[in-house]
Amino acid sequence: MERNSDIAIDSLNLSKTYPGRVALSDITFSVKKGSVHGFLGPNGAGKSTTMKILTGLIPQTSGEFFVNGKIGFLPEHPPLYPNMSVQDYLKFVLDIYSPTLISQSKSREIVKDVMVKIGLIHVAERLIGNLSKGYQQRVGIAQALVHSPEIIILDEPTVGLDPSALAEIRDLITKLKNDHTILFSTHQLHDVELLCSDITLINNGKIVVSGPLDSIINNLKTRMIIEARVLHFNEELKKKMLTNFKLDSLDVKKNEEKDFLLTMTVAAPESLKAELSRFLSQENIGLLEFTEIRLSLEELFKQMIH
Amino acid sequence: MVLSKINILVKKELKDSFYSPLIYILTGLFCFMMGWLFFNYLVQAKTLTSATMTQAVITPIFGNMNFIFVFLCPLLTMRSFAEERKQATLDLLLRSELTQMEIIISKFISNTFLVFFMLSFTFIFPLILAFSGYSDWGVVGSSYLGVLLSVMAYLSVGLFCSSLTDNQIVASLLTFCILLGSMLMVITVNATNNYLLALMIQYLTVPFHYEGFVKGVVHSYSLVYFASYLCFFFLLTLKSLQSRKW
Repeated sequence: MERNSDIAIDSLNLSKTYPGRVALSDITFSVKKGSVHGFLGPNGAGKSTTMKILTGLIPQTSGEFFVNGKIGFLPEHPPLYPNMSVQDYLKFVLDIYSPTLISQSKSREIVKDVMVKIGLIHVAERLIGNLSKGYQQRVGIAQALVHSPEIIILDEPTVGLDPSALAEIRDLITKLKNDHTILFSTHQLHDVELLCSDITLINNGKIVVSGPLDSIINNLKTRMIIEARVLHFNEELKKKMLTNFKLDSLDVKKNEEKDFLLTMTVAAPESLKAELSRFLSQENIGLLEFTEIRLSLEELFKQMIH
Repeated sequence: MVLSKINILVKKELKDSFYSPLIYILTGLFCFMMGWLFFNYLVQAKTLTSATMTQAVITPIFGNMNFIFVFLCPLLTMRSFAEERKQATLDLLLRSELTQMEIIISKFISNTFLVFFMLSFTFIFPLILAFSGYSDWGVVGSSYLGVLLSVMAYLSVGLFCSSLTDNQIVASLLTFCILLGSMLMVITVNATNNYLLALMIQYLTVPFHYEGFVKGVVHSYSLVYFASYLCFFFLLTLKSLQSRKW
């Protein structure tokens, strides 16, 4: 595969099939060096499978990928030994991932640095099994970092955490993004908006969209949703609107109060909104309300997936 | 380099084992049973005037010791891979610089060390006999070697079974069934009229080879047998770990 030095991870047509089931098909995306790349998708979309392939835990059925540097990986369930202290555990992980690093004092120093960075220094001597879920997640992130990888892959690092722990992990990722390339999967779209510069959206084992977050959101926002409430409406008017304004969809619902709720999706410029409102008011159908629905990122993704 | 990598995991495993109560419970149980048997054989030996100390005490003690380990080894090895699977730490090990074979060997060495720890408490038996003038150290030495080799064979089976599941109970039961099943093969030897087949089956059972050691005879074919036994189950464990990628 052609190697571009600005690319940390490049995956080309990755596919994974299990007997009778296609888990991934033609996954192609790339992660830029130094970026925080969000990997999104509903449960069972194939996020974890892709991450396991990239980390070499399972082989792909076809396709290829290129990883530019060492990978630190935090799986969905952090791989922790509950009977070990945080310090001993991180030292052990460092030892088995960098066995050439013989000097004990140096490895102790590295472990200490990581614990300070992740905010674990005050629980260094405590057993992992006795820590809260938030701290265990931190230890999980620390083990992914301890052998100084260039790329960090985090599989749902924020799942199951309380709001304060969530905010802490978010801060941690923000801190890490200066030194590492980060690929992380999540359900929390709020995280994506806050942390990611690029995203890949995956559904049913296929890529829906991949690229810089800003341009994806801008592309989505060219599609407007407009709601209008009118007193009278008929099929003829519906046809007229669909042809005149090239609406993507026009959904008509009759309310109990005997008015109609029109939901229109338009893939068109801003000017169309004014024309549409003028048209509805001129048609003498008793226009009661005319609003553009602002879509949250969540709704935008829902739209893309369905 | 390889040794230092193995050393890292062996140290971690031993630390883990000695921090858990299981090893102390098993050692306590083992010492109690062995001490009790030793005492009884010793008392009995007084009445068996025609038998030597080796025949009256050493041979039966080591025979029983081997049998007790058939029950203890599955309990020692059950957590080796099953727990790693359950805690999702097996992938952590598999992704590391350690090769799969190094992981298997490390687990095997640490378990062997645990057995050696348990066995070390029985060193007091020959010492007690020495006070009464016993001096047949060759038999004692070969018996210990026999126990150690048989137990190593049992541990290799245990490691393989542990690598198949994330349930420790299933792993220990499976190990126990395989070990007991292979011991019961001796009965099959009696049932067959085919001499060659009987010899072959006999060769495949651990007790047949162990018997030689307890008598003070170290057959080279027994050493080959135990070496191949270990290699075979290491290979199966390796395949089992590799099957995660299939």
